Amino acid sequence: MAEIVLETKGLTKYYGAKPALDHLDLRVPRGCICGFLGRNGAGKTTAIKLMLGLLTPTAGSATLLGCDSTALTPAIRQRIGYVTEGHRLLRWMSIGRLEEFQRAFFPKQWDGRLFAEMIEYFELSRRQKIKHLSNGQRAQVSLALALAPNPELLVMDDPTLGLDAAIRRQFLEGMIELIMRQGRTVLFSSHILADVERVADRIVVIDKGVLRADCPLEQFRMSVRKVVVHFENSAPADVELAGLLHFRRSERQLELTLVGVGDAEVADWAARAGAERFDFVEMNLEDQFIEFTAPPHRRRLFQWEKA
Amino acid sequence: MRFLALSRKELRESLPWLLLAGLLLLGVGLLILRSEARFARMDKQHWSSRQALGPGEVVNTYALVRSPHLTMVAMWLAFIGPGLGLVLGVCHFWVPLFARTWSFLLHRSTSRMSILGAKLAAAILGLLISLGLVWTGLYWYACRPGLLPIPEPIQILIVGWVYIAIGLVVYMGTALSALSTARWYTTRIFGLAFAALAAFVILLQWHLGWVLVLTVLAIAILFVQTVAAFLSREF
Amino acid sequence: MALWMQISSGSETPIYQQLVEQISGAIARGELRTGDKLPAVRALAAELVINPNTVARAYTLLEQSGLVTTKTGSGTFVSDPTLRHADAAQINALAERMDTLISHAVNLGLDRGALVALFEKRLEKFASTLDKGEAENG
Repeated sequence: MAEIVLETKGLTKYYGAKPALDHLDLRVPRGCICGFLGRNGAGKTTAIKLMLGLLTPTAGSATLLGCDSTALTPAIRQRIGYVTEGHRLLRWMSIGRLEEFQRAFFPKQWDGRLFAEMIEYFELSRRQKIKHLSNGQRAQVSLALALAPNPELLVMDDPTLGLDAAIRRQFLEGMIELIMRQGRTVLFSSHILADVERVADRIVVIDKGVLRADCPLEQFRMSVRKVVVHFENSAPADVELAGLLHFRRSERQLELTLVGVGDAEVADWAARAGAERFDFVEMNLEDQFIEFTAPPHRRRLFQWEKA
Repeated sequence: MRFLALSRKELRESLPWLLLAGLLLLGVGLLILRSEARFARMDKQHWSSRQALGPGEVVNTYALVRSPHLTMVAMWLAFIGPGLGLVLGVCHFWVPLFARTWSFLLHRSTSRMSILGAKLAAAILGLLISLGLVWTGLYWYACRPGLLPIPEPIQILIVGWVYIAIGLVVYMGTALSALSTARWYTTRIFGLAFAALAAFVILLQWHLGWVLVLTVLAIAILFVQTVAAFLSREF
Repeated sequence: MALWMQISSGSETPIYQQLVEQISGAIARGELRTGDKLPAVRALAAELVINPNTVARAYTLLEQSGLVTTKTGSGTFVSDPTLRHADAAQINALAERMDTLISHAVNLGLDRGALVALFEKRLEKFASTLDKGEAENG
């Protein structure tokens, strides 16, 4: 059983009367790249800030590298890299000065050569001031600042928001490079499902402050499925099946979106419902995520055809 | 090492303001003192009739006529001191709020108290050097034999330092306002309002002893409040 | 070894499956021969910018289907085709996939002759492996 580097127990955060996070129970094992998924406002940033001790929980607790999040010691913070939302760095500083500043907090573990190589690769100069950099360049500096201390745990809050494909790829490369070193763990939240699919081996899905999934990526991919069921005469108007997320009906077909339903159970149900045959439809991660987090009985946003 | 890096960063960030305030005070001070010296040379009779401070006489911050020349410079300092305090408070506590850099600043391998301490240290050092040093220099210059006909009392030097200390009071009041998480702007302004109130109360005193006591008290109260607010605040 | 692999993220096919398909395709077409070494897991992961566990999983699946063998410490190598035997279940699954293909062709309007000609043409791509297999099987 792999060591758990990040754990939350009943983590809850209320803003006024509304819960931003409701009893989150999470366990992230060492050595994985964990993708943190959720719609906008689902509570991802709140969860990350709670884990890093920037917010205090209303109830429950979070533990990082064995240390309670509300009391993270300087020694523990030294082992954690944090890329903040929006890559907000100190604007008036030059890249060189910012490196000096950051380096002071990681005296023994700073990889100056890596930082220099990355800055050179990004075609930036140490003399450039942060306020003169574009969003993309600031993100690149942010990545270099986070990787140079060779962190044991790297936490990134929506690191590729608004960045072009090339820079997004650089972030993924950085994550892969880090994970190949012994005992490193990466946690990152993202809306780009394709990126998550590339590099993550675990995913966590949060929906309206509630944990919906915390499992290996593969397991999620195999669990959320669509099956088209064909009927000889008329498809039934209603469907009773455990694990059903949504269904669509046309004259002689039913399209069911299921989660965690095995082949045998589907076959069983199809037989009982009197189906002619059924075919599984493959979905990509983005479609799976959309279906998984869509509210039940949802309508489509735009109605193209009548009935 | 870390504390040094933090305070160096804070100092560098506010350096332009420190230079501006210091140079302003120096410029104004020299201008006033030198024109006073010129008038004194031109009209020795009129000047000698102005009374020097007698023994046992007290100085109050309003009736600064007892201090013949530096009083006018001190009036400038009464604005520059708190003004610099306000600007430093904005630099250290409001700018990170607007630039959303608190998350980056707070994830340091050092205690939160150190992070606050570095800001305070930078503010105190800034006020000390850019204003304190200049003011003391101006006092020393005014006391140079032969420059001015009437000697300056030591009390005016202390009054100037009180103005600089009020700068620190305003700094912390500004910090408190930034750290306040109250929804209403009227409540947020509380920190600054308290500092302004303290400044008024101090300036109204007739006795230098009370001035000093109240200044120390104001600094102590605001310091405790600021520390408590910073350590418990959510970012 | 020069095997250029491409994966596309955001596809319905999981990444590990794309790898399996590409590698097994290359083996079938003879681009990868017996004894050829597959790229190291970490090297391939770094090049394709994917999680090393995904590459490892693909290699494991290929090994389970007998296409490659892993020697700890040395790497993963394409295994000897003569040691591969298809069992009845695998042949059945293959037959079903052929049915899908044939029904698709029928719906397009191809007749038997056209279909067979097309099939023969595509077989050419795999000539080297097929002919070698035939020679070895006698």
